[in-house]
Amino acid sequence: MDTNKILDLAIDAGKIMLENGGETYRVEETMLRISKALGLQHADCYATPTVLMLNCKDKSGNNISAVKRIVSRTFNLDKIVKINELSRSIEKEHMDVDDVLGELENIRNMPTYSRKVKIILAAFAAGAFTLVFGGNFQDALTALLVGAVVQNIIMFLSAFKVADFFIDIVGGAIAALLALIAYKLGIVQHYDKIIIGGIMLLVPGLAITNAIRDTISGDLVSGISRAVEAFIIAVGIAVGTGITLKIWVIVWGGI
Amino acid sequence: MLLNSFYCMIASMCFGFLFNIRGRNIIIASLGGGVSWFMFLLAQSYNNTPTVSLFFAAVSVAIYSEIMARIFKAPVTVFVICGIIPLVPGNGMYYTMYEIINGSSQNAISWFTQTLLSAGSIAIAIVMVSSITKLVTMKKK
Repeated sequence: MDTNKILDLAIDAGKIMLENGGETYRVEETMLRISKALGLQHADCYATPTVLMLNCKDKSGNNISAVKRIVSRTFNLDKIVKINELSRSIEKEHMDVDDVLGELENIRNMPTYSRKVKIILAAFAAGAFTLVFGGNFQDALTALLVGAVVQNIIMFLSAFKVADFFIDIVGGAIAALLALIAYKLGIVQHYDKIIIGGIMLLVPGLAITNAIRDTISGDLVSGISRAVEAFIIAVGIAVGTGITLKIWVIVWGGI
Repeated sequence: MLLNSFYCMIASMCFGFLFNIRGRNIIIASLGGGVSWFMFLLAQSYNNTPTVSLFFAAVSVAIYSEIMARIFKAPVTVFVICGIIPLVPGNGMYYTMYEIINGSSQNAISWFTQTLLSAGSIAIAIVMVSSITKLVTMKKK
């Protein structure tokens, strides 16, 4: 049994989970479950949204530990489902270290939906939300365009690793701008519903959910940092739309 | 009401794809979005305030997700996140800013409190449901 290898494996699994939107308690639980199932006895760990620590004892009683810094966070809930399944099946199916390593590599390289698919779906999401919040079909058609553009901006800017706050400001501003232009051209009647449909793509649903779930499971540090993240995203969206609205009012003297 | 819930289901489904959920989980997650909006509208039709209606909607989607997570052996978050998305007060954020730009601080503050209360009621709903599920599952063991 190679303690070092198991430690690396467990912390890698934790890293993939945390980077793709897993809750803190689930990450800790998974790391412990994997290391126990592979034969480490005294494992202990600590996770926050930005760092992972895992410590254990080897056969001669020396402490061995590993630390991983989490830099980027995205959403890929499928990876969380898969790692969750993997960590449960190690024990049941008596997998050894190499099996788990291969399986983990598969999960890491799992394909995501392509750029085009994501843009089209974001467009439909924005259109559907415009209808939900009381827009008519003309509004929804415009929202399709707004959603596609906003999603394009999100993906374009995230490739440069810009701060999320900035992405939300730009996204909100562009959504408002496109909606106002369409309104000015007389294509649509409810520019506000279109803006709301567009900014729903940026809304911090995942951050809010995880903040709550972390806080109740006792991970107070993670809970608070995710709550702050959610609040900052909300402020960013509001500021972005606000900037556009204000400039529009200044330039045209009214909406 | 049903039509609106259907639109919401489609929106949740699109979000499910954006969050990279795969396979049958995506259908269940999008149904959660439909459930949440249907319950919201149902509560609204009995003259509840938006905050109370959001609470009922969030409770129902949280219960739905806990049950589905146990049936289909997937993490609860996968379903909760998609179901919660339609309830997140995106319109509150927008109208708060709109009123600030308009210069009517009275309306802005009322929208701001409304937004905070909505987020709070969603939070309390999720806390309650997941704590109660913990109690129930502990009792079974």
